[in-house]
Amino acid sequence: MTVRVRLPRVLTDTAAVAPRHEASGSTLGEVLESLFTTAPGLRQHLLDEEGRIRPHVLIFVDSVKSDLDTAVGRDADVQVLQAVSGG
Amino acid sequence: MKRIAVGTDKGAYLLQGSGSSWEVDGPMFPGWKVTAFGRAGDGAHLAAVGSNWFGIGIHRSSDFKEWGDTEAPPIWPEGSSRKMEQVWVFHDDGERLWAGVADAGLFVSEDGASTWAPVEGLNEHPTRPNWVPGFGGLCAHRILTGADRIWVAISAVGCFRSDDAGVTWEPKNDGIPAVDTADDAERPEVGYCIHGLAQDVSEPKRMWRQDHAGMFRSFDGGDTWVRIEEGLPAGFGFVIWRHSGTGRLFTVPLHSSASRVPVDGRLRVYASDDDGDSWQVAGTGWSDSPQYTGVLRGAFDGDDDGAFCVGTTGGKVWLTGDIGETWMELEPSFPRIAAVRILE
Repeated sequence: MTVRVRLPRVLTDTAAVAPRHEASGSTLGEVLESLFTTAPGLRQHLLDEEGRIRPHVLIFVDSVKSDLDTAVGRDADVQVLQAVSGG
Repeated sequence: MKRIAVGTDKGAYLLQGSGSSWEVDGPMFPGWKVTAFGRAGDGAHLAAVGSNWFGIGIHRSSDFKEWGDTEAPPIWPEGSSRKMEQVWVFHDDGERLWAGVADAGLFVSEDGASTWAPVEGLNEHPTRPNWVPGFGGLCAHRILTGADRIWVAISAVGCFRSDDAGVTWEPKNDGIPAVDTADDAERPEVGYCIHGLAQDVSEPKRMWRQDHAGMFRSFDGGDTWVRIEEGLPAGFGFVIWRHSGTGRLFTVPLHSSASRVPVDGRLRVYASDDDGDSWQVAGTGWSDSPQYTGVLRGAFDGDDDGAFCVGTTGGKVWLTGDIGETWMELEPSFPRIAAVRILE
């Protein structure tokens, strides 16, 4: 199923990728793997060395903070945000 | 005209100009720390970036304007407890491209920074369990090559040398005081907080070392080190650079580990024309106004033409074009400077 993925500008400007993507998958992890096939450089920026979502990255599925095993429905809206941290 | 890349806590900038006239392009990589610059063997510019949120990245550019994110920067193997926090330095030896990173490690690329392989002999060195980070973290921040040897500086661990193309490594710190060790204690294998490393490119066994414990020199490739601080207002600092044509050495003394600013606020580059036997303030042009700002270990660069510059934690760039005879503080101000590189 197709879902929409939106990325923050601080990431897309530097990673030189589009801010909006279409991806597929039934879980958030599958959606991200789908995203990485078209934008492989994003993997290092969204996941850590152990394949987990980076500690200061938040990903929402239909406005609900989600994990890699969160189920993703048809036409879901996936939004990546950076946590408010740092200075 | 000179072009100088400036990497800061808030993006990269490109200074272009000469004399008192300088223009600034940027910021590039807005919102990201830019921690190192380099050149790949094919001539491509490299920039290492880091983010508190999105980890690290390595970008390539042919013109220092349009950048592309490489897809596979150095990464610790999955399951490793180490984190890839920052790329501290690039070094192109003419055949291979090396990168020093934090958590401390050495990686090598055979394809111009597209892919990287860990150098297991150093990264998994038997002393690794005793590697302890310093104030700047646990980082491999300087890489030198020459005469079929490789040297890597790791804070706060020490200098390592490989004589077999990176397969095996030995600590090279004899003569250096260990960090936080009593004078009469048994010398540990590691725990030497090296800050900077330079060498005579025509005779690589002649080396100079800015260490947490002071300024040192080795004429035997790092096997033994002797202190060389005559004329310096303080032994502490991060900068050591050697002009290959004249042999002139440059450093920027800071008060101490506890107070990492110039003594009495007198920011000065010091020079030595006798291999470090003696030091004096380099040239003229320095400000009489107090400048309580430091220079970090990646924030200096020079070229064979006699240009040498330092970028300060206060965001200013000081430049000489005549091997240190006259100095100028460039007008533009930047965020805290982590890296500078003279492009041409």
